[in-house]
Amino acid sequence: MLSKKSILSVDDLDTGEIMQVLESADSFMDISRREIKKVPTLRGKTVASLFFEPSTRTRISFEIAAKRLSADIVNFSAQASSLLKGETIMDTLRTILSMQVDLLVIRHRDSGTVKLMDSVVNVPVINAGDGKHQHPTQALLDIYTIKNHFNRLEGLKVALVGDYINSRVARSCQSLFEKMGLEVTIVAPAMLLPEDWSGFKVEHSIDRIIEDTDILYMLRMQFERQDRKLYPSVREYNRYLSLDMKRLSRMKKDSVVMHPGPVNRGIEIYDEIMELAKEKGNNILIDEQVTAGVAVRMALLYLVLGQS
Amino acid sequence: MKMENAILIKNGFFFNSRQNKIVPGDIYIENGKVAEIGKDISYAGEDVSVIDASGLTAIPGLIDMHVHLREPGFEDEETIASGARAALKGGVTALAAMPNTNPPADSEQLIKYILTAGSATDCRIYPIACLTKGQEGKEMTEMGILSEAGAAGFSDDGMPVMDGKLMYEIMKYSLQFGKPLILHEEDLYFSGPGLMHEGEFSTRLGLEGIPSLADEVMIARDIMLAEKTGARIHITHLSSSGGVELVRQAKSSGANISCDVTPHHLFFNDSILETFNTNFKVKPPIRSRADQAALMEGLKDGTIDAIASDHAPHLDTEKNTTFKLASFGTTGLETFFAACYTRLVSENGMGIEKLIPLLTEGPAKILGIEKNRIEKGHRACIALVDTDAEFVVKREDFISKSKNSAFLGLKLRGVVRYTISGGKIVYGKK
Repeated sequence: MLSKKSILSVDDLDTGEIMQVLESADSFMDISRREIKKVPTLRGKTVASLFFEPSTRTRISFEIAAKRLSADIVNFSAQASSLLKGETIMDTLRTILSMQVDLLVIRHRDSGTVKLMDSVVNVPVINAGDGKHQHPTQALLDIYTIKNHFNRLEGLKVALVGDYINSRVARSCQSLFEKMGLEVTIVAPAMLLPEDWSGFKVEHSIDRIIEDTDILYMLRMQFERQDRKLYPSVREYNRYLSLDMKRLSRMKKDSVVMHPGPVNRGIEIYDEIMELAKEKGNNILIDEQVTAGVAVRMALLYLVLGQS
Repeated sequence: MKMENAILIKNGFFFNSRQNKIVPGDIYIENGKVAEIGKDISYAGEDVSVIDASGLTAIPGLIDMHVHLREPGFEDEETIASGARAALKGGVTALAAMPNTNPPADSEQLIKYILTAGSATDCRIYPIACLTKGQEGKEMTEMGILSEAGAAGFSDDGMPVMDGKLMYEIMKYSLQFGKPLILHEEDLYFSGPGLMHEGEFSTRLGLEGIPSLADEVMIARDIMLAEKTGARIHITHLSSSGGVELVRQAKSSGANISCDVTPHHLFFNDSILETFNTNFKVKPPIRSRADQAALMEGLKDGTIDAIASDHAPHLDTEKNTTFKLASFGTTGLETFFAACYTRLVSENGMGIEKLIPLLTEGPAKILGIEKNRIEKGHRACIALVDTDAEFVVKREDFISKSKNSAFLGLKLRGVVRYTISGGKIVYGKK
């Protein structure tokens, strides 16, 4: 039972609710491992996923999650660039609601738009990412992945590395991780940080934290969301912020590497490490994050919809 | 037969501009002018419209020096006529019309057109002409011809002149005509794709920020140019504490500078953006709590000379959209007095005698236009306000063509009951 109708931001969930999501995700993880990966929990419910920004993994992850719960899911994607006036998105929304859907999963290129759309509909909404604002399901699947790996959360040291300013993942993770007792350090140069970072623990180079961090969380360099090219070059990025084999070898024995995907190979993470990630027994959790994504989204769909 | 132009305002108080205070008194208006002020004036007879002003205060008609009337070009948002009606409802009997119309007001014909259309309304409309042709920031306009045609000042408003050398030449030339240069200060490289004040809230909301520096580096530049040339500059809609401080220093070193602030920058701070309500998307952006306090301080110590609404009407389709796509601006004419009175007098304890000049004499002096005063022989432009009454700002009550008010849903104090312009009752029960 969640207190809010919709999940628009990680702040919409209190600690108890987050634990509830993680526990439900555990049981949905089991279902995904079965031969018959389907339960009738949401039979007869219709979920519409509206993507006003290109996405592969999040959209597919929600789709698989809904299908494993026996909900019917329909996908609508539109390039936001083809919708010049917001009037059009509101019209699209009205059209889809008229078809009596039970839940909306929405992604939009512009910050705040999912909240705007939520404010005019009666059905619950799950934010699948809005602009540079929030991506709550990503942060939840990340915390689930971390908890699964370490069997604890309190006191773990996590470094969010790279393009903080343009990243909704960074904002969501920072807030959720801190709420769950992790120690968060942001590793970024001045132009990829907000004007005032006085409330954050900040380092400017990955070398400053590499030996001490439990979780090295690499942020995707958001070239598509950079309003103006401020970072000088990839070479400069590699110098201070990328993960190569040398840096990987300096990490603590039981530490892990995470990335929300898709990885810009050779920028955040070097090719050789991505190749290493395919082998068993490594501490690169990128694939585990994707797997957890389905279970966590099943849990959210169930908690938001299954009990209504 | 009832004479339209004889009005007797009885049993009320009025703002005496010479004594700078509110005093009791009746006002008799005839032939467009204040004919008599005194105790218990009684002109009986059918030819006089009598207003019982018990509980009301007569204040000079307000002068709003920053209004977007949108005509020509955007008549679906506002027209000169509809904007004038909205003004009169707000107690505003004179206003300056900003030139970012389509085409922009950079020609003699357009200035004359605005004057002609304005004279058909009951509000005095003062056209502001562009600083540069087409507001393109490349070539200055015919400032002489435009002044002679009736431009009250010059501004490129939302399209600041980024070319410092051009601004320098404009300032030098402007001295020949004595009209103020009204400057919207924004370094477009700093503001870039910004949507709100850059600070704690923009970071959290993931909305691109507009730093205070965007305003301040331009204010600093133009102060330097004005000090060098002696030009008469007016910084409109100050938004940041640094901006207030720059003007304060410039004034103390003798620059020929004035400035204004809007009611919405006084009323709100950037925490309100958490709603993602696009009516709070304005330029310059609504800034931090500290900036809000600095603007208040600037009003109190006299750094800020005037309050102007920056009435910026927009269609629903321009506002009911994503925060990124929404247009900048809030309407302000109809809530002008109430927003100022509520914020400054009710909430901050400023005396009404301190507020009224900011809405009347202050802007009149800046623009060099006729002052509205309640004095014998003066043109009768008066607003009768009830400062005890409160109202909730509702969409359906707006008479402006646009409804994009940042004040929607708020309870404000200070209701304009009647507006008299040129000796006629132009708003309120006749």
